Amino acid sequence: MHVKQTIAIIGATGNMGQAIAKSLAKEENRLLLFSSNLQKAQLLAEEIKSNNAAVEVEGIACPVDASWEADIIILAVPYQAEAETAKKIKDVARQKIVISISNPLNATYDGLVTSADTSAAEELQKLLPDSKVIKAFNTTYAADFAQPVIDGKQTDAFIAGDHSSAVTVVEELARTAGFNPVIAGPLAVSRTLENMQLLMIQLTMKYNYNWHAGWKILHN
Amino acid sequence: MFEQLIKSIQDKVPATEQELQLCKHYFTPKKIRRKQFLLQEGDVCNRMAFVEKGSLYSYSTDAKGNQRVIQFAFEGWWISDLYSFFTKEPSSLNIEALEDSELLLLDHEQHEYLLKNVPQYETYTRMILQNAYVALQRRIEGTIGLTAEEKYSRFLNQYPTCLNRVPQHLIASYLGITPETLSRIRKQMAR
Repeated sequence: MHVKQTIAIIGATGNMGQAIAKSLAKEENRLLLFSSNLQKAQLLAEEIKSNNAAVEVEGIACPVDASWEADIIILAVPYQAEAETAKKIKDVARQKIVISISNPLNATYDGLVTSADTSAAEELQKLLPDSKVIKAFNTTYAADFAQPVIDGKQTDAFIAGDHSSAVTVVEELARTAGFNPVIAGPLAVSRTLENMQLLMIQLTMKYNYNWHAGWKILHN
Repeated sequence: MFEQLIKSIQDKVPATEQELQLCKHYFTPKKIRRKQFLLQEGDVCNRMAFVEKGSLYSYSTDAKGNQRVIQFAFEGWWISDLYSFFTKEPSSLNIEALEDSELLLLDHEQHEYLLKNVPQYETYTRMILQNAYVALQRRIEGTIGLTAEEKYSRFLNQYPTCLNRVPQHLIASYLGITPETLSRIRKQMAR
């Protein structure tokens, strides 16, 4: 028997939060789902359990308690809400892996609100100096989690971070979720990853990919 | 969140405010609920736990699934499988929460960092390990040499305030006696 890793998903009932929760609902993980609407989080937990009774999952009323119990914290909130959440969980997230999934898009989706010399992930790391911030799942749409194989190819999931042991843990999570993990480099590579998804969103709207598309590096 | 740890350090070494602050940055705060595990048999114990609130116990299991309690830990105590922590070999122990608990965890990397950068932490750790060694020696000596009554008296001295927080069958297991024997001794002592 192994000790289960406890994963807190903050913003668990949004599109991305739900998709991540469902794809990580495996016996080796214990999931704590926080949403500002507790009832919705509890309903999601029930739905997950009805699909697999062996999964330990529950809705939780407080993001601080969820993060305090967690080994890994996934911030599935919009970029604009990250600073407020970070402030709340800062003390209990010390030395823990905090996954930044956000893309700091502007209101018209034609650019990022962050300046060129930083990224949402690096800004989060500044707000959580004692945590191990890892960029992941920002280049994957919510629909990709349900169907990570698109056009016969397994979608890549890019991961960036400065702590190698933490990157390895997140790599395993991406694999659990059904993606092909690609370690992209240190946290500063998040600038590129966030811009990649800006392009993907623009192309999705332009060519009508129906919000089910992903990146795949073809190589020999 | 750090009250007990700071008290524990200050009781043993004259740490400065700056050193205490540095220590705080390297501990991982972790809440764990009753009956949840911090360590399970077969895993490598890669962290030491300091108990801020609540209680835990470590035990091995025999072939029949019976628990053999090694140690209890309450507020202000450390608990870990030091053998597994230092050798990185899989542990033969389980560490389970007796009550909902608040812990401060330290993994190898964090521990090594503090040893190198905070001299008072190194002194503190040496004293903690020294105490753990003495406790272990006394426990072996008690296990092989004392009567059940003597072992129970010593246990009462060691864990005076926490007695009613631990189920009787775990105390009996810790002492290496049957629950029936423990019950008889308790009745005798109550007279």
